[in-house]
Amino acid sequence: MNTNNLNYLVNSLYLIKPELVIAAVIVLLVLVDLIWIKNKTALPYIAILGLLTAGYFLIDQFGTNTFAFATNNSAGMLIVDPFGTFFKLLIVFASILVVLFSMLSREVDNGLERHGEYYTLMFGMIIGMMFMVSASDLIVIYLAMELVSLPSYILAGFTKNSIRNSEASMKYLIYGGTSSGIMLFGISIIYGITGSTNLYEINSLIQAPQMQNLTFLLAGILIFVGIGYKISAAPFHFWTPDVYEGAPIPITAYLSIASKAAGFALLIRFIKVTFIQSIDPNGFWHLLGIIDWKSFIIIISILSMTLGNFAALWQTNVKRLLAYSSIAHAGYMLLGLAVMSNEGITAILIYFMAYAIMNLGAFFVVMLIANKIGSEELDDYKGIGYSAPFLGVSLAIFLVSLTGLPPTAGFVGKLYLFIALVDAKMIAVAVIALLNTVVSLYYYIKILKCMFLDKSEKEVPAFSASYPALVLVFLLAAPVIIFGLYFTPLVDIAKSSITLLGL
Amino acid sequence: MTENVMIQLAVIILFLPLLGFTATLFLGKKIKFMYIFETFILICAFVLSVVLVYTQLTYFSGKSTIGEFHWIDLANAPLMGRITVDLGVLIDNISVLMIFVVSLISMLVHIFSIAYMKGDKRYNRYFAYLGIFTFSMNGIVFTHNLLMMYIFWDLVGISSYLLIGFWYEKKSASDAGKKAFIANRVGDIGMFLGILLLFITYHTFTFDKIFSQISQGVIPFNSGFWLTVTGILIFCGAIGKSAQFPLHVWLPDAMEGPTPVSALIHAATMVAAGVYLIVRVFPMLSGGALEFIAIIGAISALIPATIALTQNDIKKVLAYSTISQLGYMVMGLGVGAYSFAFFHLITHAFFKALLFLGSGSVIMAMHHEQDIRKMGGLRKKMPVTYYTFLLATLAISGIPLTSGFLSKDGILAGTFAFGSLTGQWFFAAVGFFVAMLTAFYMFRLVILTFHGEPRDKEKYEHAKESPFVMAMPLVVLAALSIFIWYTPNPVNPEQGALLSSWVKTPVINTPQFSRYEFMKNDEAKPTQNNVPGGEVKEKESEVVYSGVYTEAMHQAHIPAMLLSLFVAGLGILTAFLFYQWKKLDPDKLADSIKPLYKLSYNKWYFDEIYDATFIAATLGLSKVLYWIDTYIIDGIVNGSASLTKLLARISDGFDHYVVDGIVNFMGYLSSFIGLIFRRFQTGKVQTYIVLVVFSLVIILFLFKSF
Repeated sequence: MNTNNLNYLVNSLYLIKPELVIAAVIVLLVLVDLIWIKNKTALPYIAILGLLTAGYFLIDQFGTNTFAFATNNSAGMLIVDPFGTFFKLLIVFASILVVLFSMLSREVDNGLERHGEYYTLMFGMIIGMMFMVSASDLIVIYLAMELVSLPSYILAGFTKNSIRNSEASMKYLIYGGTSSGIMLFGISIIYGITGSTNLYEINSLIQAPQMQNLTFLLAGILIFVGIGYKISAAPFHFWTPDVYEGAPIPITAYLSIASKAAGFALLIRFIKVTFIQSIDPNGFWHLLGIIDWKSFIIIISILSMTLGNFAALWQTNVKRLLAYSSIAHAGYMLLGLAVMSNEGITAILIYFMAYAIMNLGAFFVVMLIANKIGSEELDDYKGIGYSAPFLGVSLAIFLVSLTGLPPTAGFVGKLYLFIALVDAKMIAVAVIALLNTVVSLYYYIKILKCMFLDKSEKEVPAFSASYPALVLVFLLAAPVIIFGLYFTPLVDIAKSSITLLGL
Repeated sequence: MTENVMIQLAVIILFLPLLGFTATLFLGKKIKFMYIFETFILICAFVLSVVLVYTQLTYFSGKSTIGEFHWIDLANAPLMGRITVDLGVLIDNISVLMIFVVSLISMLVHIFSIAYMKGDKRYNRYFAYLGIFTFSMNGIVFTHNLLMMYIFWDLVGISSYLLIGFWYEKKSASDAGKKAFIANRVGDIGMFLGILLLFITYHTFTFDKIFSQISQGVIPFNSGFWLTVTGILIFCGAIGKSAQFPLHVWLPDAMEGPTPVSALIHAATMVAAGVYLIVRVFPMLSGGALEFIAIIGAISALIPATIALTQNDIKKVLAYSTISQLGYMVMGLGVGAYSFAFFHLITHAFFKALLFLGSGSVIMAMHHEQDIRKMGGLRKKMPVTYYTFLLATLAISGIPLTSGFLSKDGILAGTFAFGSLTGQWFFAAVGFFVAMLTAFYMFRLVILTFHGEPRDKEKYEHAKESPFVMAMPLVVLAALSIFIWYTPNPVNPEQGALLSSWVKTPVINTPQFSRYEFMKNDEAKPTQNNVPGGEVKEKESEVVYSGVYTEAMHQAHIPAMLLSLFVAGLGILTAFLFYQWKKLDPDKLADSIKPLYKLSYNKWYFDEIYDATFIAATLGLSKVLYWIDTYIIDGIVNGSASLTKLLARISDGFDHYVVDGIVNFMGYLSSFIGLIFRRFQTGKVQTYIVLVVFSLVIILFLFKSF
């Protein structure tokens, strides 16, 4: 490496300031954990402070559109562009909330002496996810995904004394290991064909017409397996219900939002950058004909939402139900990608903002209820609307939003998604998605029915959560309604965030 | 003060009552004195609105300020291009005058209610409802687009429903609430269709954008007919809200609500919202639509006036007179007398609120007796109520020196001018005839209530003047019913600032061919100041519509005034002959024209006719629909539900038998292999992985051909 390249690298450091902050916080967390062995209360505050700092740098960085770590003979391994920054901000937002959830969670609190590793591992995931959304090189993609996966295996089984946790962790590990192995296989094939691991270089190399279609198709699908596992799209979703049910609720919430967001960002970037041929003035993409991504993603998304929604119908455990519902939501969001247009991406980003708030809120309320009654079974939810009215009403708001009824943020997400579909003349798919929404109404409303209409057999004393928790619930429920009524800010953010580097 | 400050002021005035509503509703049960907070909020809103009115009329008169934001910004919608839905406030002379009226009367009603509603078990809730009503009404006043108008339109509807049925334990009250709500919905359907027609054509809800596109010649479906239809559909909203024929039936029943509510909602503000709506959309109304509006207004002025002649409930008489007066305003707008109609809206708001509050004072003194046949002689017991009530009665009858004289005379002159220009004297005839009826039944009311001997001695003995908080609003409103606030010259309203500089007839935007003949611009004299005859120019600096119209209006003024004085005097004289001096016997007259009397007494049988037609038809239709629902729709739904269940069961069965089967099989298998593995492996994970690889292969085969 000559000095010129070294200069490049040093100059690129300022582009990854947020990631550097997170890395520094990891070190800090470990040190604090070691020095103050007795008192762990400072850890979450350090974590939040670090996340806020990273968030500040991200906002500061918004609008930057360049390669990081580019050398003169290769394109960069990382990309800093509005699209990536948007997802990083979303991840930081979800992380802050999950740290707050963890502070209030009884499950996590029981493992008090291991708080240090809890937050350290979580920050490991964060940094992995940040690299995932900004990676432009297959090697970095793979490393970042592993960096996300390994801590999440441990976190899923964080409360060691619960069998359910350990089982979830174990399954997750095996399943995840297999998926990443499959993905690595796909990456190796691509490298074998093109001799490059950089997405932009691969794109320029495969413009040539004499590409080996079948091999490339195999490689593409193999890589999709790895990403599909992260976003829990059917048929790569099998781990989701078990792990979501078994993991501590803050981690479940985290997996369902942050790591799904990172997976989506990676998928969109991978497909758009690698296979793009041109973009027409209306924002529609024309992909290379090597892989028919459009039909492929339509099939995957219809499969995901149908399977997720129908399986959710029969669940009696609220966490498991929300797991299936998150599979269904992955299906909806994939439709935005299937449109293969900038408008579809806008719809995904809007959907993700709404989804992050409402899903975090739903999991949080479920966690607060579980803190008190020690169960997530639907039968134990009977009469909660009366014994804990505030939590009941808030959960109702989140569930209505997840269904996609107005006036909630969830409605806005679905509205823009369907607009994009109709605009691309994919009416049949839109109708299928709409019917799926109707099915989902049934199981979301089932929870409401349980809470508000059914009487509990045993007397449930009135209960509530601590004031900070209630304030947090309110702060999550209010935007669901506010953005449902006035959603132009969401749309504006999404529109300014669809820019990918070079496209 | 800049425009920005004004916009902020308007937004604060708009939302203050909402704050009052929320606080009072949620804290009202715990804190007894929330009603004081709510009243205080309204006083603040009133003070701010005075500031706003002063600023607008002094520094920005004639200009309109708009503060708006994109509420919804849809990307390029197919076929329509970029669509944004804007919300915002519009501050111009009309809206600030209206907000002044609304917040003043609302404040006075709040104060009046403190004493009137005392002891009610839902005292604070009542004030909360008044708050949400005021918020909704302010929204209607300030809106700069039709969508927000529609939203607040329904919000006043719901708050009116809540207040009419405030004593919902009484069946008649809850029924009246429902009746008002449903009648309003009927009108709203038309309004909504009209708004949709406009949106389809112009892709916006905002008034000024719609008007500017109309003036460029863009009209719905490129036909004058559809422009007229749109105007009439929008007017349907006003028919419902302003209780115009044929939807007027809800207003008399709405008198079941507390009397201050009747004063605020069903006399001064909400029912005037319909008129305000026409005022707002006036520039886009074609000649056909205006004519329709005028006809509806004339009918609504006439029929309730005839009904009011024979009613015995003090509030019912006032209710019918309200419909009649609203009919006047609507008719006035229909014949093009825009500024006088709006003027009448303001003056009517004051004196009709006064009449209702006065009747409230009487009703409270008489221990909730509303039948005027059981009253009489209250003049001595309740001097303040009597004199203020009398003043308002003079105003509504159109006697000089009162505000009502000025505005009513203007509308009558408008119908007169319309008649002389178009040859249609129908409106003028109705106008003058109703003026006579109004004077008659209002004085009948005053005489029966306050004059003569008490007919119910016991209640009379206990009657006493109302306390200060009730008397004060009466005096304030009575003061506002005198001419001096509107013009220095008691016979010519146009010398006052209100008509000469504040309220200006807007420029009509509709295409020339669709206008009234007299509204077509003079080709030779395009600029407004080119009035023929230099000497007239001194007095009349502005041309409304066309020189011909201005001339006709000018000529109509004096004859209309004299004629209206004559008919009002005739009405009052008759009332005195019948009820004060007893020279004529009303019962004998009633006997001699029995069919007519019965028609009037039974309110022209409107309720019965509606019962026999619309309601019976609706019930019949709903029976048919019920049958369809039960046997056809439910069949389909049940069928699809079964199908869904079946599908779900299949997937469940797949899960249960195939997946679990494999799982169990693996479990059994592993139990043979060894105890060590068995502890960690449920067998599920392997199955999952097998399934993943399996589906991978299937996908590969599916897409191989591409």
